[in-house]
Order: sequence, then C-alpha cells, then structure tokens
Amino acid sequence: MPNFPDSYLKAKHYYLSIMEKSPRFFQWIVTPSLILCGAFFVNGIIILLCGYNPFQAYVAAFEGSFGSPRAIGETLVKSTPYLMTGLSVAIAFRCGIWNIGAEGQFLMGALVATFFGTKIATLLPQSTWISIPICLLLAVLAGGLWGIIPAVLKVARGVNEVISTIMLNYIAIHFVSLMIDGGPLQEASRTGPQSDPIAQWVTLPRLFESHRVHPGIGIAVVLAIILTFVLFRTTFGYQLRAVGEGADAAKAAGFSVAYNTIRVFILSGALAALGGAIELMALTPRLTENFSPGYGYTAIAVALLAKLHPLLTIATALLFGALSKGAFAMEAEVGISKQVTWMMQATILLFVIGFGSLSLLQKHHQTN
Amino acid sequence: MDTESILELKNITKRFGNLIAVDNVNFELHAGEIHAILGENGAGKSTLMNLIYGLYQPTDGSIHISGIQKQFRSPRDAIANGVGMVHQHFMLVENLTVAENIALTVAKFSSRVGKTHPRGEINPSHKGNSNKPKLSKFRYKTDEAIQITESLSQQYGLTVDPTALVRSLSVGLKQRVEILKALAVDARILILDEPTAVLSPHEVTGFFNILRKLKDDNRSILFISHKMKEVLEISDRITVLRHGKKVYNGITGELSTRELAREMIGEEVTEIERNQNIITNDIVLNISNLTIRGNRDEITVKDLNLKTFRGEIVGIAGVDGNGQRELAEAIMGLRPILSGKVEILGNQPIGTRNIRQCSVGYIPEDRRTMGIITSFSIAENLLLNVPHLDNISKWTVIDQTSKFKTAKKLIDNYDIRPPNASIPAAALSGGNQQKIVLAREISPQPDLLVAVNPTRGLDISAAQYVHKNMLTQRKKNKSVLLISTELDEVLKMSDRLYVMSRGKLLEATSHRDDIAALGLLMTGETDTNA
Repeated sequence: MPNFPDSYLKAKHYYLSIMEKSPRFFQWIVTPSLILCGAFFVNGIIILLCGYNPFQAYVAAFEGSFGSPRAIGETLVKSTPYLMTGLSVAIAFRCGIWNIGAEGQFLMGALVATFFGTKIATLLPQSTWISIPICLLLAVLAGGLWGIIPAVLKVARGVNEVISTIMLNYIAIHFVSLMIDGGPLQEASRTGPQSDPIAQWVTLPRLFESHRVHPGIGIAVVLAIILTFVLFRTTFGYQLRAVGEGADAAKAAGFSVAYNTIRVFILSGALAALGGAIELMALTPRLTENFSPGYGYTAIAVALLAKLHPLLTIATALLFGALSKGAFAMEAEVGISKQVTWMMQATILLFVIGFGSLSLLQKHHQTN
Repeated sequence: MDTESILELKNITKRFGNLIAVDNVNFELHAGEIHAILGENGAGKSTLMNLIYGLYQPTDGSIHISGIQKQFRSPRDAIANGVGMVHQHFMLVENLTVAENIALTVAKFSSRVGKTHPRGEINPSHKGNSNKPKLSKFRYKTDEAIQITESLSQQYGLTVDPTALVRSLSVGLKQRVEILKALAVDARILILDEPTAVLSPHEVTGFFNILRKLKDDNRSILFISHKMKEVLEISDRITVLRHGKKVYNGITGELSTRELAREMIGEEVTEIERNQNIITNDIVLNISNLTIRGNRDEITVKDLNLKTFRGEIVGIAGVDGNGQRELAEAIMGLRPILSGKVEILGNQPIGTRNIRQCSVGYIPEDRRTMGIITSFSIAENLLLNVPHLDNISKWTVIDQTSKFKTAKKLIDNYDIRPPNASIPAAALSGGNQQKIVLAREISPQPDLLVAVNPTRGLDISAAQYVHKNMLTQRKKNKSVLLISTELDEVLKMSDRLYVMSRGKLLEATSHRDDIAALGLLMTGETDTNA
C-alpha cells in the first residue's frame, strides 16, 4: 500500500465511518453529489485555464438546460436516448454481463425503424395507431436478436462479451453506413449518405407546438419504473441479480447462468434498440451516419453513476441530457467549445470509478 | 521458560461504528510460547489478530513489540516487525502457482528479514537459514521459486505441489500454502487463525510437531481454535475472549475443558441426545459407479457406490481434497459426471434446478461463495433456491409480505443475528451467515440433505444447533449425507460411516471406536491391521 498523507487517511476514515452509519443515505445522496462536485470542480479549472469564467459558464449551462419550459423540454428530449441506453446497460451489468454493445443495439433499432418507416409503412394503411406500435415492436425484436449473438457466443463458446459486443458495435456502425451510403436505404435522390425521411405516420407526434417533447420520454420513464419492479420484485429480477452478484451461489441454488445470460442480453439489446427507434421516430426523420454521438458508450457512465438502479438512471440520464443541452448554451453565450461537455462526462465517469473503489473498500471492511 | 514478552497489547479497543469488537484488552505474548486464543464466533478473536497484524488500527490502546511501541499501518509494517499470519480466509493469489505465491512473499519482504530483531536477542541467521535457496533479485526464475517452496515444504513436512495453480487446490492444501508463506518470511510471531480446521488427525499431529519445532526455535505462536482438545494439547497458555472482553488468562491445564467452555460461552455445554435410528429399506440417494473429474481434469472420484436410506445419517470422513467436494457437487448437478449415475428417490434428475425440485437440501462447503450472496439481504438470501423462490412467487412476482414473514420466522427459529431481515449478509459474522444457509436448506425438511462441513468455523452452541437439526431430519425419516473433515463430528452424528480417500469410499462403520484405524483409512491405508 502506498503511503498516503495523514489528512487523506483521516478523510477516508471519516467517509467510511459515516458510510457505515447510514449506508443508504450515502449510496443514494452523498456519493453521487461528491462525484458531481468533484467533476464540476475539475472542469471549472479547465474552463478557467481556457480563459473563461467557470461560474458564468455553469450559470449559462444551467439556464440553457433548466431556465425555461422550452429548455426543460429540450433537456428531456436529449435525456431520452441516455435513459434508454442507460437502462439497457444497467440491466446487463446487474447480471454481471458487461454489455458494451448498447451503441450497436441502438443503431440497429434505428436502422430497423428506418427500414420500416421508409419501405414498409408506405405499403400499410396510413394510420399512426398501426404503424408506430409495429415499428417499435420490430425495433425491439431486432435489438433482441442483435443481443442474442454475443449471448450465444458467451454461453456456447465462452467468448468474452466485452470483446464481442465492441466488435458488434463496429459491425452495426458500418452496416448502417453501408445501408444509407449507396445501400438500399439511401435516399431516393442519392445525394448524400442518409436515408429518406420516414413516413409521416411513423413519426412520434409532438406533445406541444413549441418544442420537441414527444411520448418517447414517457415510454422511457415508464420502462424505468417497470424495470425497477422487475429487478427487485420478480423472480426474473432476483435470478438476474443473483447471477450477477454471486454466480456460484446462484448455480448452487439451481438457477441457470446460461439461461439468464441469454434472457438478459435479449432484454438489454431490446431496450437499447427501442431507444434508437424512438430517437429516430421522434426527432430525426432521416437516418444519418452521425445518428448517435456515442449514446451507447455514454450509457455506461449513466448506468454506473446511477449505481445500476433503473430509477436513479432517470436522474443520471437527465443530468447527461442537461449537460449536452447546457453545452449548446455555454457555446452560444460564453463561447466555450462543446468539447468541455464531453470532458465533463468523462471526468464524471472517472470520479464514479474512483468512488466505486471506495465502496469496494467498504465491502472489504464489512466482510472482515 | 523465560517470561520475556515479545508482544504486548495495552488497553486495546477497536470499535466499528457502534459495535465494540475488542473491548479494553490487555495481552502479553512471551517469546517461545504457544498461546491459544479461545472464544466463540464474534468474540473478537479475529479482530484482535487483525489489529496485531496491522489490518486494522486500534481505536484506543497501544501495541508493543519487544518492549517498543509500534504502530502498524498495514500488514507490511507488521511483517517487517516479524509478525506473520495465516488467515481463516486465505490471502492467496488464486491464479498463480504455489511456488509463485511463495516467491511473491519472499521477494516482497526479503530485504526486511533480519531487521526484525534490532536488539539481537535472537540470532536472525540461525542455522539452516544460510544454505537456503535464494531468489534472484531482478528476474523471476521458476526453478528458484520451486526450490524455495520445496525446501520449505520438506523442512516443515507440508507437502504440496509447487507447480499447481492455487485456484485448483482444495481448502486444506491452500492452507498449507498459507502456512508456508508465513514461514517463508521467517516470522517470529506467527498468528494462526483456526489452522487445524481442515487437517486430518494424522496431519494435526504432524502439524503440532511443526509448531513445537517453531517454539523450540524461540518463535511465538498465537493459536486460534474452537477445538478445546487441541488447545489443551498444544498450548502453553490460554486466553479466553467473550463479547470482545478478555475473561480468562492462565496457564494451560489450570481449567478443565468444561470450565474453559463455560468461560467461552458463559454457560454449561450440554451434550446432544441421540436416539437409536429406525432402520429402513427406503433408498433416497443411490449412487452407482460414479466417476468424476476434478478441476485439473484428473479423476477425483472413481467408481463410487453409495446408498443412503430414510431415517439415517451417513457420514463421510476424510482429509480435505480426497474428492468429497467433487462428490457433493456431482450429486447437486454442479459438476459433470464422467460415468455412472446418481438417483434421487428413484429419479435421475438432470441439472441443479431439477435436483433441487426433488426435495434436496445442500449445505455447500464454501458458504461465502456458494451458500450466500453477501450483497443480498438476509431475507433475499433465505430465498436463494429454486423451490423457495417458486413457492413465494405468483406469476413470477415475489410476494413481499410472505417473504418477510418467512424471513422473520427463520431468523427467530435459527437465531440469526442481528435479527434484521433487510441488512446485507456481508454484515453478518461467519457463523450467522452459515445459519442463513442452514435455515434455508433445512427448514423445508428435504428428503435428502447433503451437508459439506456444515459446522466449520461455527462456535460450540451454533454447531450444536446444526447437529440438533440434522438429528431432527433423521427422526423425521429423512436422509442426511454428512461430508466433513472433522472426525469428531462424523463419529458423533452418523449411523453409517465411510472414509473417503483418493476418490474412493472405504467402509468404516466397523472402526468407529478405533481412532487409530480410522486415521489409517484417512491416510489411504486400506489394511487397518497394519
């Protein structure tokens, strides 16, 4: 063990002792707050070094994301893909499955929605009530199937899912490019690498005239609540957590690790794909190459910051949505580049990991 | 013997939150003595040892080594001051070989050996040390590490394959590696946390000879054990802890076993009543020609036949690592069967799930990884098997009211402490964790109970409770298969007795009064007249 200064040891000791006394309060409130404060502080320094006033920047970011009903609406819109992919990652990680493939699953969902919205929906009656459910269902099926691939590789051949899902991400990204750049899904005029807009009756309607708030946000929140129930109140969730937190004990109890791995991968893939479909159907009528700015990867931070709890994921997704909305405001009003936001997200992730090791420390503390 | 104290604890107190684990303990360890620490689970023995070993820092009080006050911030400091420890839960690198584990310790601390006794009371370079093989400084060489390991093994009679991966070793062998590790850094004060729990009687005798050798070498040994007989046999002095306080300290032999037990638990120990069983012909478990492979693809169980009947406890004794764990895992469907078959109540269920549904209870060897999930609450751990989960749920939704009702009932019946269904199992002591497993596996009164070392690490009253429950099972005309490395337990409990040795079952019921013959069977001798 390295020799830490006394002050650090004292602070750590203090932290751990409070943690022991009220672990819940700590887990849900104090630790996430400390992580955020730390990240804001570090980024504040960076903003300062760039020659801007960090307070001014943060105020602008806050106003830009929560300052008006319109801003709040836009923040909600931006949060939805984070929430869907975050839920996907949280469910998988809970089961001890390191699914890094939310990005690919997200894209496959969007791709299927595009295919349906541009090619199939035109053949069906022009009804929102028929087309939208079918489209969402197809995306869910596609995501589930995409999730089965790494699941089967893992169960049957022992392939590490981190590797297989990252590879599948590349496949998905380039498959999307192929489809919309010279492929069958490219727009009819063949001018750019993008698809035709999806049919009017496949787009998710806006709830208000003035901004882009759409019913997909509600779907995502309801899913988060349902998943919380599934995770903590059903035998499926119980087995899933048992496999994730004690695979040997789960096996001895008679739960099948393989079966649960496949189930969870399907669910995880379906959630991310649904997120992709919603994003496409609500916001961008066309599928483009930069459709996802890495939602599936950021989702890992979203889920980890939420301690893999679906309800908390709502909050962390909102935070990430606000950060990306706030980034526009910072750029517009203070002139700071949007890159700062990406740094912010990365810093948060680093802090999450740092504090994660502290709670591991606490586990060690308890078992001894 | 000189009474110079090599280690002294003054008014040591250790608090965890509101819990006082060690309460104002004064303690003195003399040079060249074997000092036993007795106490129930949760009495503070392990905490006290961890304080000496630098894993914990005392809330209050001071530690003195050879009269000099010391502060151990980490085990590194303790080791540098000549304190070595063999933990109950092993601290080994599972993915390295035995030799690599030893080399790791030697390399890390070799520069410190010899500095342990600045005042020079003890000559650090005692004989035998000079011609010991040494490690190269910068490069790791496999054969050097193997040499070191082998020379240590031979010196102390602790045989173990230096090239084996630690991961693949049985609990008993892992412990040998731990002991070797402590000896490898030439510890002057050796803390042994329940070292004999996994050794056979024969090995214990050998082990005690080692301890005596170490003692003659003027090393001091702190010996933690539940086994009164061993403590009386090996120790020079005894300290008894109860609820974190020192309640007795004296020379071995002053108090009788019974008096010591009373000091430990504060009340008289009662012997269990054991009635004659009703012999039946109802086969519950029928194993025929069973052959299983172990973790390293070696055949660990060969052509094994075993029948258990209703209303009896069948005991399998034997030294750890002779195929007992693999046998239990194969019965539970956790390990593939190479050939032969396992029938339960006339069926041949495939997979743990189906086996569980045939009314089979299982108390696994390693409760911390197989018996419970430490991050789960007590209530959740009490649901941890297929039939329980199916019973308590409707349309896959777990009924919360009956979940907590069941948990409360089991917590009361099995005296699980603290009696709070929603705290995580990690916060419980080992004994209470084991009670969770017992409550879950025994309470449904399974037709077959497979119990592997069910009382390992439990204190006297808890162990007695386990035994009482097994006898109740027997009385209710159920079948119990008890696999244990503790000969006393198997002798006391079983109606029919086997010894498992090198993957074979040897009939031993006829030798139950002849410990020497049993010992021979356990070491692999089939001719008990030899």
